[in-house]
Amino acid sequence: MILEDGRVIATAEIGQLGTVLRVAAPGVAGQARAGQFVHVRPGPSFDPLLRRPYSFNRIDRAAGEIELIVKALGAGGDWIAARREGDRLDLLGPLGSSFVIQRATRNLLLVAGGTGIAPMRVLAEQESGRRNVTLLMGGRSVAHLWPSDRLPATVEYVTTTEDGSFGIEGRVTDAIRPLLEWADQVCACGPWPMLAALGRLRDEADRAPGTYPGRVALLETQIAVEQHMGCAMGVCRACVIVTAEGNARVCREGPVFALGDVRFADGEPATVGVTD
Amino acid sequence: MPWRRFRKKVERPIDVSKSIEESLEDAADGESEEDAAELAELDDATIAEAATGEPDDDRAPTELGEKLRGALDADAPHRGGPPRSAPRGIAVDRRLGAARSEDPHAASPSYPEAGVDLTVEAARGLRLKNPVMTASGTFGQGVEYAELFDVSRLGAIVNKGTTPAARPGNPQYRIAETPSGILNSIGLENPGAAEVARKYGKAWAELGVAVIVNVAGYSVDDYVFVVHEMTGTPGVVAYEINVSCPNVKGGMLFGCDPDLAAEVTRAVKAETDLPVIVKLTPNAPDVVAVARACEEAGADALTAINTVLGMRIDTRRRRPILGTGSGGLSGPAIRPIAVHITYQVAQAVSIPIIGAGGVTNAQDALEFLMAGASSVQVGTATFADPLAPLKVIEGLAAYVKEHSLASIRDVIGVALPAPED
Repeated sequence: MILEDGRVIATAEIGQLGTVLRVAAPGVAGQARAGQFVHVRPGPSFDPLLRRPYSFNRIDRAAGEIELIVKALGAGGDWIAARREGDRLDLLGPLGSSFVIQRATRNLLLVAGGTGIAPMRVLAEQESGRRNVTLLMGGRSVAHLWPSDRLPATVEYVTTTEDGSFGIEGRVTDAIRPLLEWADQVCACGPWPMLAALGRLRDEADRAPGTYPGRVALLETQIAVEQHMGCAMGVCRACVIVTAEGNARVCREGPVFALGDVRFADGEPATVGVTD
Repeated sequence: MPWRRFRKKVERPIDVSKSIEESLEDAADGESEEDAAELAELDDATIAEAATGEPDDDRAPTELGEKLRGALDADAPHRGGPPRSAPRGIAVDRRLGAARSEDPHAASPSYPEAGVDLTVEAARGLRLKNPVMTASGTFGQGVEYAELFDVSRLGAIVNKGTTPAARPGNPQYRIAETPSGILNSIGLENPGAAEVARKYGKAWAELGVAVIVNVAGYSVDDYVFVVHEMTGTPGVVAYEINVSCPNVKGGMLFGCDPDLAAEVTRAVKAETDLPVIVKLTPNAPDVVAVARACEEAGADALTAINTVLGMRIDTRRRRPILGTGSGGLSGPAIRPIAVHITYQVAQAVSIPIIGAGGVTNAQDALEFLMAGASSVQVGTATFADPLAPLKVIEGLAAYVKEHSLASIRDVIGVALPAPED
């Protein structure tokens, strides 16, 4: 993990998903792994104050470049999304844990919701030459989907939209069952309700006998989660969630967790701690 | 005294560096403040020793951090494992691959602050090599930011608020951004005093940084218990009594009432020979009265200030953003409040004041120093710029040089009104 002054080298608007910034940052790119994130300072002043965490959407070690998907939400995101070619970007990273793909995995299922596509695209690029990769992505409409021309050609791409404007109508969980039977391992990133739905499928499989379709893949699922974050260095404890082993910091122990370790409540992360 | 019932011998630190522990115990045996001052000096020497090697090599602190992170594996639930056996004493220098120097100050010349007199008396009996500390709750246990920079350059670090037993902290959300600041309601999540001492004592010795333990609790017994548990932990040079946490029920109680604040101060003073600092809350009805009471009760310094109570509402969900409703406001937004309280308290007490609240650069630090603080804490700014504390040190050194001052001490209190005859 380092502090690096990155330089924006290209930008692209991706429908309603956000702005993709391509940033020259050889130091960060050289260390980054899928699932990890970079903490970006939204301007040189202290207003807005907090850095914004973005999962890597592309890691190009050879070129020393990374890509980030930035939503222009709020003052900080606005500023970062407005960076253009030649602008500097104050980066702190790479931070957090990363996805671990088992050597024995032949069929890898990636599940993405919204900007959760970011680390799934990194995995798609990284793994598609080594094993069979299917990316299942869900969004509100076609404008919320990742464009297929920005994926490796060897990745099978399955999409769902809530309004039926493209692909299967519904959510990723409506399309996932046959894919689970095929997959040896699942990696997922998206909004909490999507991850919680996966968690319910996993619990179901966990209780079921070994012949339950998709059981192996569900038990092997890893997820990357989001939480309101402060320092991203592990000191402030703002971003903790509840796991099987107690409180865990999304910025340090996470953002990638075993699905079975994360505790959910009503489609959201389970409530941390106690109020005295 | 009732707290004696806590005096069961809880697991003592096992990972400690023998030589440092011995010297700390020796110092703790002494009764005079001079002893404590010597202890601070001794720590400075240790700091320089640990920092010897390649001070101009950016990677050195990072590697140090990585090793520390490895040594602290137990910190991460998903990387769990038994604690590793401790290295012996200051032999850590060799373990870290750093060249040992005969001159304890050999490490500093490459840093901009070298050769500038930045030493201050941060508390009675606590001399620091520069007036810049990190504020409690914004710097963890020091080991985290050690991955980014050489934390031994800091005057001191103040660790995360430490309570007698482990605390899981408050429900989400725990943080919200505000104009030029943040609101937090973490709820003193920490592993408890015994665990902090066991887990971080060794790391503190290796980092070579002076550590001030932030002590939190719900009762006088709690505060005394934490200090008791931390006694003898390597690197610890003072205690900061957190009578001002707004995010746990009763956490601010002691800081709002002069009599209660004095009672805690007296009890902690009786437990330790190290300097005792009391962290004031701006939420007290009469903060100056609390400050005076703490001084009379024997406090060796006062930190001004802890966070200011505040709230944000999520207009979409139509309820407060923070899980506990209200939280503590920090960052540049509260700096004028903090400078004003420093200015008021400085005229009411004669013990050193540690200024805290929105310090982001040397100019901010100078405001506090000129208002009567003898040192400052950098807190929230570190989240935006992890190097902010170092930039404050460098900026203060530059100021001393630029204005041809003999020492940074020359600016302390210069903005205060002339004392009346």
